Amino acid sequence: MKPLEVINPSTVQEASQLAQSNGTPTNLIAGGTDLLDEIKEGVVRPDKLVNLVSLTEMQGINVKPSGLDIGAGTTLAELASHSDIIRDYAALAQAAESVATPQIRNVGTLGGNLCQRPRCWYYRSISFLCRKKGGTTCFAALGENKYHAILGGSDCVIVHPSDLAVALISLDASITLSSAASTRTMPVEKFFAGPDVNIMAENVLTPGEIVTSVSIPALPANSKSIYLKAKERQGMDFATSSVAVALTLAGDVVSSARVTIGGVAPIPWRATAAESVLVGKAVGNVDLKEVGEAAVHRAKALEHNGYKIRLTSGLASRAVETLLSQWR
Amino acid sequence: MVGVRSHVTLNVNQAPLDIEIDHRWTLLHVLRDELGLTGAKRGCDRGECGACTVLLDGKPICSCQMLAMQVGDRQVTTIESLGDSSNLNPIQQAFLDKDGGQCGFCTPGFLLSTKALLDSNANPSEWDIRNGLAGNLCRCNAYGRIIESVKEAARLIAEG
Amino acid sequence: MAYNVVGKSVPRYDLPEKLTGESKYAGDIKLPGMLHAKVLRSPHPHARILSIDASAAEALTGVHAVLTPFNTPTGRVAPDLAILDTTVRFVGDEVAAVAADSEDAAQEALASIKVEYEVLPFVTDPREAIKSYATAIHSGGNLIGGEPLILSRGNIEEGFAEADLVVEESFTTPAHAGAALEPRVAVASWDGDRLTVWKSSRGVHADKLSLASALQIGQENVHVIGPTMGAGYGNKDETRLAAIVSALAKSAGRPVRLELTREEEFVAGRKRHSTETTVKVGVKNDGTVTAIHTITLMDTGAYLSSGPGVVRRAGQGALYLYRCANVQYDGYLTYTNQPSGGSYRALGAPQGHFALESTMEKVAEALGMDSLEFRLKNHVGPEGQPGERITPADQIIDTQPVEGGVPFSSNGLQQCLELGSEAIDWQGRHERNANQSGSRLRGVGMGMFIYRGGPGTPTNAWMTLNADGTLQVTAGTMDVGEGNSTAIPQMVAEELGVAYEDVKVLFGDSDITPEAPITSGSTATFSTGQAALNATKELKSKILAAASESMGMPANNLEIANGVVKAKDGIASMTLAEVAAITGQIRTEASLTPGSTDFIVNSFGAHFAEVEVDTVTGNVDVLHYVAAHDSGNVINPQLATNQVEGGVSQMLGFALTEQMLTDPGSGVTLNGSFLEHKGATIQEFPNIDVIFADVYDPVGPFGMKALGEPPNIGVAPAIINAIYDAIGVRIHDLPATPDKILDALDRKEREGRA
Repeated sequence: MKPLEVINPSTVQEASQLAQSNGTPTNLIAGGTDLLDEIKEGVVRPDKLVNLVSLTEMQGINVKPSGLDIGAGTTLAELASHSDIIRDYAALAQAAESVATPQIRNVGTLGGNLCQRPRCWYYRSISFLCRKKGGTTCFAALGENKYHAILGGSDCVIVHPSDLAVALISLDASITLSSAASTRTMPVEKFFAGPDVNIMAENVLTPGEIVTSVSIPALPANSKSIYLKAKERQGMDFATSSVAVALTLAGDVVSSARVTIGGVAPIPWRATAAESVLVGKAVGNVDLKEVGEAAVHRAKALEHNGYKIRLTSGLASRAVETLLSQWR
Repeated sequence: MVGVRSHVTLNVNQAPLDIEIDHRWTLLHVLRDELGLTGAKRGCDRGECGACTVLLDGKPICSCQMLAMQVGDRQVTTIESLGDSSNLNPIQQAFLDKDGGQCGFCTPGFLLSTKALLDSNANPSEWDIRNGLAGNLCRCNAYGRIIESVKEAARLIAEG
Repeated sequence: MAYNVVGKSVPRYDLPEKLTGESKYAGDIKLPGMLHAKVLRSPHPHARILSIDASAAEALTGVHAVLTPFNTPTGRVAPDLAILDTTVRFVGDEVAAVAADSEDAAQEALASIKVEYEVLPFVTDPREAIKSYATAIHSGGNLIGGEPLILSRGNIEEGFAEADLVVEESFTTPAHAGAALEPRVAVASWDGDRLTVWKSSRGVHADKLSLASALQIGQENVHVIGPTMGAGYGNKDETRLAAIVSALAKSAGRPVRLELTREEEFVAGRKRHSTETTVKVGVKNDGTVTAIHTITLMDTGAYLSSGPGVVRRAGQGALYLYRCANVQYDGYLTYTNQPSGGSYRALGAPQGHFALESTMEKVAEALGMDSLEFRLKNHVGPEGQPGERITPADQIIDTQPVEGGVPFSSNGLQQCLELGSEAIDWQGRHERNANQSGSRLRGVGMGMFIYRGGPGTPTNAWMTLNADGTLQVTAGTMDVGEGNSTAIPQMVAEELGVAYEDVKVLFGDSDITPEAPITSGSTATFSTGQAALNATKELKSKILAAASESMGMPANNLEIANGVVKAKDGIASMTLAEVAAITGQIRTEASLTPGSTDFIVNSFGAHFAEVEVDTVTGNVDVLHYVAAHDSGNVINPQLATNQVEGGVSQMLGFALTEQMLTDPGSGVTLNGSFLEHKGATIQEFPNIDVIFADVYDPVGPFGMKALGEPPNIGVAPAIINAIYDAIGVRIHDLPATPDKILDALDRKEREGRA
């Protein structure tokens, strides 16, 4: 590792000012489980790291009648074990529990999970100057791409690695970004941006902006959510595909549905076609196969990832089936 | 190149230690190379194998994937604070009795994850054990004997 | 037989220190003034190094030595491997090395080294590599030996002519990494002309010879110490790193340490060889096997390493597991510009048995026979293979014979088949899994195997009664994590009549132990253990002789029990300390070439798996696993169980999730991490029943036979055959990852509709 300086700010404001860097390569660091990988690999070479771990303003889970406010510094372990989240926002607890290992969940944060960089092995290797690193080639598009995108990838076929993002979008969460100058809040779904928007980044953060919190509205009465994650092994693995579904019933009719799929596109992918299939259907009339097929509407395989279409479709069906069975 | 350095106080095994560290050093580097606490192992240096596991305020973390500058005033517990080979603590004794290791390189990490698990759950189910130790790889795959060791450790601790 | 120490689950000898962090591994060695090394690696899969300008690196503060192919001793680490070479043959091959004050400083210095390469054509596909026009990676061409290894018994043409049915199937297995948790580490320190090296090692004496050859110094000037070994699974027998740090240390005049990063371990460590195998089997309608012809193409990558041994072993199952008069094995071993293959637990046997046992499943199916019944009918029996013995009567029988006409010293394969099938309830499998519906489907599969039984190359051991009455067994072997430092003192203690705790062990230091081969081929406990036992027998007679004189009783009236010499029919006794007080230190030495001139010594086993395949996710969950082994008499049941369970779980990765992947366009390794090279975690560990057949081998010490590697062999066949039973698709290309299972299901469904 090359020399660097770690700075411990005492407020978000100060952290933001430090992060604006003025030409010095600077990164924000929280749990560090992803960023330190990139630094050790030489993919990222900062001179300064602004440490967010001790910022108390970014800690804590606040349960309110209107919903949840979660500090971005909250660890994944705290999310996974929080009894209100387990009961009322199951998809989020399940997504947090599915991440990596206990050791990683004890330090990895909500904010870090949303801002982590893609796991594409071409991106992560200094041997390849890919488009995401300022080059002109997407090596994965024509190379080893079994873990890559079936949706939304054109110039860059990464998949977004965050589990939490998939759950949060189905839970209709919003995210707050703070900088020294301003604060803005937006739906989590709008936080992410594909390669068509900015190939070098996966989100809309501007220099000096920090993810400070996430809010989830209380789900309407008679709602439930679920997160299912497919991976090659049960311990420590990223999703080859994942699905988060949140459903609300009015009587026995699906009145609202949010379906998000992960591990299949450069951003967490809202499967609106699947939602349309669900909304207005009586529980007994939901065609699970149709839901699955709609979830992968317009998906297109690369050379080695055709299985992801069948997988995602089947996983979406299973998620809806499992969720509906919880009402029985 | 010389790195940026600072004096910090680390709380390691219940003792405050004043030490000058290079900002790029991980907690693992400081433990092994500066403090001579070599029980924590460098298996991958990427937070993927758990051989470097230590407890931070009682919770298992990968010391390779945390900068020493980020530790702050939190308590670090390493394998050296458990028993020594002539005076094994109950977890170590259980791992000896049930052969919970082969080459031993992953063993300190497993013991600390076990300690954290049993400190929060005195009577874990097999599912709890597998979940609690999921961040520790054993390439000898002595997992079967490790699971038996954890069960035995819970029993020994309950017996006092 | 009733024993006091053998057969007891005594605690692992070196475990207490491993439980406390006190054990010193090579990476824990710290010497005064020690420098840290880093290696510059090739970005090209094949290139000639025209020049290296290291002046900028040498000028950096904190840099003490730079090693390049142009200033390195020119001896060989292995016949095709220099310490540093002017040709690089895979992405990651060693180019140069730097010793500096810290790892960070050495790493940054690498960036200042300017290398001028002449990029050469490269070949990463073994099928292409063996073509005549392929670029030659070493002089002499890519196909090792210029021709395949051909081994045969009988005449396969005649055998196939007798057959009613011929089945032919092809399979591939990927490169996969041993991936021991401990990375390779070497520390070198010179005292004048004498070199001391601490390294992760599985054979300090072999390392000593290799280093002396590479550095072109006398063997007597090399001292190799093997600290506690963070496992290797056969994988750490290279000395290139140790040679590099030795040369750096010489140049810097200070001790130098090098520890590979995890990614370097995956790239520049050694992998199980990838293979492509075709098995052709002829059978009669009654199930008699008339001919087996197997062809394997194996990729050894950039260097030969143990490739010839691996390609040989890949054929042994096909040559010897089934009773058959007509067999042939053609083994092709080729260089490519892939990272190098090497030894990995059971060498080629898992690859060969996967192909063989998958094909035999298909044969049984084609015959309409239950595959267990087929194996019970055709497995090689205690009498061995049909044919004539070729080995002269006074010569030791090879543990991998081709010839027939030689019986086994013991053969518990039938027991393994019977006990294992009972434990998995083979007969009830179709009934309990009938009428399955939904997306999770269950199936049961099996595979059997044969492997070398323990005799290795010549070895030595010493036994010492110290002047204070304590005992020590001394040998040049290494405990690589498998437990020979427990099993050997158990056997010694049993023979001598003392407690296990009374025998101290000294292994793994080339200066103070007698020569022994590397811990490989599942031979260490059998072979060096026999040497220790022989030395113990001699020590015992010397102790009894001394006691006899002192006690005034004939030696044949004396025995040693509970650590005390006593009269068999009286109360007179002497402690060993009292004997030693008279005799002073006694050391006995034994040398031997292990093995039998009358019998083949082999281990056997049969594995059974019940799996559940999730047809939505393609994941395979192993619900129940039964591993039945004939490893002769078991010296330590708990350690043996651990060894079997560990081997099974380790190879779940080979069957289901692990492979090394290189980018086809560049040769760059893509997944050199524990995250992406997906070995089993505790979450995957299945419910495993370990069964040992009741066998006491007449050749092995205390009736034991090899157990180190055999647990690895049966896993892929059992799992893949179980997947077939569950979902009706056969995976031919390991690992059986979800993408392959889902794609195969897709094909099957399309064919079903067509």
